[in-house]
This record gives sequence, C-alpha cells and structure tokens, in this order.
Amino acid sequence: MSDSYTEIAKAILDGDDIKATHLVEAALTQGLPPLDILNQGVVAGINKTGELWAANKYFLPDVILAADAFKAAMLPLEPRLKAGRGGQPTRRFVIGVVQGDMHDLGKNLVIAMLTSAGFEVIDLGIDVSRDKFIAAVKQYKPVILGLGAYMSTTMLEMKDVIAELKAQGLRDGLKVMVGGVPTSQEFASEVGADAWGKDAMLAVQKALELVGG
Amino acid sequence: MANPTLEMIHGLLYGKGLHIGQPGRLARIVGVMAGGKMDVVPFMGPQIHDHAMTVAKVPARRYYWDARLLVETHMAVDRWYGFDSDTIVADAYNFEVEALGAKMIYSDNAMPTVDVSDPLIKEHSDLERIGSLDPSKGRIPMAIEVGRFFMQKAPGPIAGGFFCSHWSLLCQAMGYPRAVRALKRDPGFARALFDWANDRVLFPFMQAYAAAGVKNTNGADAWACFPDLTPELVMEWVLPYARKLREQCKKELKMTASAGAAAADYCEEDPAKFDKEMLFKCLAVGVKTFPLKVAPSAMGRTQDWDMHWLREFAEKEGKNGKKIPVTASLNGRFMRDSTPEQIVAKLAEWIDILGRDGGLLVFIGNVPADTPSLNIFTAVKATHTLGKYPIVADLSKIKIEPPAFPPFDEWLKGQPEEDTIRRAREWKP
Repeated sequence: MSDSYTEIAKAILDGDDIKATHLVEAALTQGLPPLDILNQGVVAGINKTGELWAANKYFLPDVILAADAFKAAMLPLEPRLKAGRGGQPTRRFVIGVVQGDMHDLGKNLVIAMLTSAGFEVIDLGIDVSRDKFIAAVKQYKPVILGLGAYMSTTMLEMKDVIAELKAQGLRDGLKVMVGGVPTSQEFASEVGADAWGKDAMLAVQKALELVGG
Repeated sequence: MANPTLEMIHGLLYGKGLHIGQPGRLARIVGVMAGGKMDVVPFMGPQIHDHAMTVAKVPARRYYWDARLLVETHMAVDRWYGFDSDTIVADAYNFEVEALGAKMIYSDNAMPTVDVSDPLIKEHSDLERIGSLDPSKGRIPMAIEVGRFFMQKAPGPIAGGFFCSHWSLLCQAMGYPRAVRALKRDPGFARALFDWANDRVLFPFMQAYAAAGVKNTNGADAWACFPDLTPELVMEWVLPYARKLREQCKKELKMTASAGAAAADYCEEDPAKFDKEMLFKCLAVGVKTFPLKVAPSAMGRTQDWDMHWLREFAEKEGKNGKKIPVTASLNGRFMRDSTPEQIVAKLAEWIDILGRDGGLLVFIGNVPADTPSLNIFTAVKATHTLGKYPIVADLSKIKIEPPAFPPFDEWLKGQPEEDTIRRAREWKP
C-alpha cells in the first residue's frame, strides 16, 4: 500500500479532518486513482475505526472524530468518484429521523459508515414526516429505507411509515431498517421492519446482508 | 402524611435489625441506602414522565408546562404501580437551553425536544451573546414549582428539584458532536464552555431554587454515560465541575446540588463487548457522583450483565466484608419488550445474587412511554414477593401469579389527584 494511503487512513483514525482533506487532495494531485484512495485510504481508515470500536479500544468520541475526518476526506473525493462511476447502478439508501424527533447523531454515524461501504445515501434529515418518506421512496427508488428515532414516543411513528409504504404498494422490493436508542429487535419485528441496526457498525453489516453483501 | 424524620429513623433502625412496626416507603429506601435489610427489597420510583403522561392520558402541551399536573400525575401513577418512592422530573435536559433561547420542537404527544439542527452554541463568541440564565424565562419557573410541590407532597431527602448537569447541558446547547470536538480538539474552548455552564447557567438556576425554598436538587448527565464519554473524560471534566457546583451551592446557598448523575453509567449495548475492567472503572467513577456510597446501575443493558460483577464491585468498595448498597436497574427496553415471565426470572436472578444480605434497591432506568403496565406491576410484585426477607433458599419455588390491577381510570376515582388529571384531559389548546 502506498504511503499516501496509509497516511490518509491514519488521519481518519486519528480524527484529524484537516489533515485528511489535505492528504486526499495531495493524492489526487499526484494522480493516484480515486477508487484506490477511497478503498485503501479512506475506507481502510474508517474500517479500522470500526475494528477498534468493536475491540473496546475506541469509544464514541473517537468514532465521532473519525467520522468527521471521513466526511472531510470524502469532500474532494466524491466528485471524482461520481465522474468515474458513470452510469453504473448504485445501491441507494434513503435515511431520516422520524417526525417529532430532532436527534441525528446516530443517523450521521450510520451515513458515514454506509457511504464507506459503497452505498449512495440520501439523507432526508430530522423531523421527517410520513409523506416526505413516501415521496422520497417514490423519487429515489432506494433498495433500503432507514428510519431513526431517539424517543420512545416518536419511534411509534415508524410503524405508521411502514404501514403507509404498504398501503401505497411501495413495500415490495424495498427493505426497511429501523434504529435508534429506544428501538430493539423486538420492536423492529413488531413494526414490520426487515432489520434493526443496534449501532452504526452493525447497521451497515445488516444493510449489506439485506442487499446480498 | 407520615413524619419524614421519624420514617427515616425507623428505616435506619429497622435496617439495623430493630424490627418494630411496618416500614413505610421512605423508611424502606433510607434503610436500604444505609446498607440495611428491610422487610422487602424496595422498588424505587423510576424516571417515568412520558409513560405517566401516556397512562394518565393527559395532553403533552399541558403536562410539560403545568407543575401541579406533572407532579400529581407522577405521584398518582407511581402509587398505582406501588413504587416505594417517586422520582419526579420532566424533560430535565431541556429547561436551561430552552430558557436561554434554543430552538425547540413542541408536540401534542411527546415531550419538548431541542432542535439540534440549529444549535444555540456554534462558536466561542456565542457564549457572550447568550449570556446568563434568567430564571424567569422559559419553563424555569415551572421547574422550580415542580421542586416545591414535590417537596410539599413527599417531604424527605428524596424530593427536590432537577436540572441538566454541565456536560449534558453543553450537548443540548451545541449538539454532542460539537461538544466532543471542543473537548478533544480545543480544551480552552471546552473550559470556557464548562465555566459558562456552571457560573452563568446552573448557579443562577440553583439560586432561584434556593430562593423558592428548594434546597435539594439533582442534576442528570446521561450524555456523560459510557461509551459517550470515557471514565477518564468524566474524571477530567464532569466530576470537577459537579464538585464545584456542589461546593458553591453548599457554601453560598446552603443547599445540596448533586450534579453528574448517570455520568460514567455503563451503557455498552453489545453483550459481546462487555468488559469487567471497564465496568469497574465506570462504577468507580459513578460512585463519586452520588451523595451516598452506592454501586450504581441505571440505563445500561443490565438484562445481559453478570450481576456477580456488580456484587464483586460492591464488596470491594465496602468494609469488613459488607458490600455497599446496590441499585439494580431494569433496562427500559427490557421492561417494554419482555414477557412478565422473563421479568420475574430476571428479578429472581438479581435478588439471589445481590439481595440476600440487604442493601439492594430495584428500579427501572427510565420507563418508555409504551411499556405495558402489566410488566411494571409484575416487576413491583416480583420484587416485593421474591425480595421478602428472609429470602427463601430456592427462589424458583416461588410462583409469581400475574398481578391483578384495576385500570388506571377506575383506580383514579376518589384519589386526591383525580380532579387535576380529569380537568387536564378536557384542556384545549
């Protein structure tokens, strides 16, 4: 692996967003292939973060900073990757926090991890109404819809969103994932979701399983 | 109403083995917190505000603004369930930032929540622009009224006011990621933030509490749980400011302000990652946030804990082979999603490990709004039945029949809170 890739991965692991951006820009200027920068540098860094999280060596503050650095590294890289992708199909994931809920920390971590796993993520933001979810599914035709909630009162909205998808004939072929602090596998099953993401790392694993790896 | 001082003395004596009379609710809690063995393992009233609102069918837009309604609804629901104490808090993390001008979202069915997409603090200069807390603003007067009513209705050491402790206050004001960035990348800014939270927000809030006669307050700091913060970060930032506020309030206001509750609470969600060493580190820090020495569990995935670890920690912290008191908290999602049989089995396991020698208090780490009431009644009944002293050798031999309980509305008839709750239901915005 090139030193540039190792340094990019380390900058992400260290949560150094400024350095990560500079290193990616420098690698692009050197003419290194964008896809290699992504896979061997950026994704390697965020994957190592995930490994350290799983091994109880990294904690949420470390993950937040690494996700920041990941996002910063993707800024100069994204346009080049899009240009290189051409007309190839992408795995599209629409995500949002349900109506009445303003908490987006978990969602943002999930987005960072999904992007690193190759998903094209459409972020609907927070306080997303049922109608907005339905409209987004119609517009973007994702393979997965992700619903997040932080409160035991607002998470009940997820059931209504899923019911509405079914009522409008949008459920076939669409996988639905739910996540957030008050949710559980039991809750996910009860509301008719296809999968529950316990945390950002596991959410991505589940998403990959849903689309066949 | 029983005399709280006499109840406390009763609890202390009963816990030491002087069994005269039936201990009341407060006596049970005090006796156990002193490490004693009471008539039964007590069930402490949990944080239950949105569940209580749901059970009592009162409108959110009234409940979170009307101190009397909030307190009376809590107390009625707590009594309906048979808890041994009350924990009365509203949406405790919002009051300060709301009064300081944070953008809020209000709903017909849920508690108010901060709009983190437009945070109150984005940069250093915002601290001067925002300035100090004006205790006449927002719902701060309501919080003070809640504290006053609570103390009137349940006098004793448990009643008091609530507030949002330093770190959680900063997370509410700027969002957790921004606050983390300050902590890890800009310690000078982090110091300014904590100073502002302490000197310009929380101390003025405590002054207002003290002026209203509320001399006991508890500050929650759930954003400082593990793994949101490591025990090292809690030691470095959360505890020194909790101590500072406590000492300032004691010296200048003659009041007790306990900040940092739930800091370092072990909230690892993945049982595969449970780590005894980290749990012990968290517990050792958590102990320091309590006014009394107690081995705490609160919001974590306790249903999958090995409670021998908690016992070992409590014994290690105790003296002469006697463990310090333990709070065994049933996880809120476990309470919502489990069957009554699973809840009974879990309590039997915990009481067997932790309760035989006294000093055990059971509660629920925040009750989700949609938790089945049957599950809560079952937990209280199981705790009081399986935890009846002397505890039988084989708890599996005790069958806990499903508890019979009247619907809340039927039970409410003739209760002192009936009028307040029924009138609130008729309220129109």
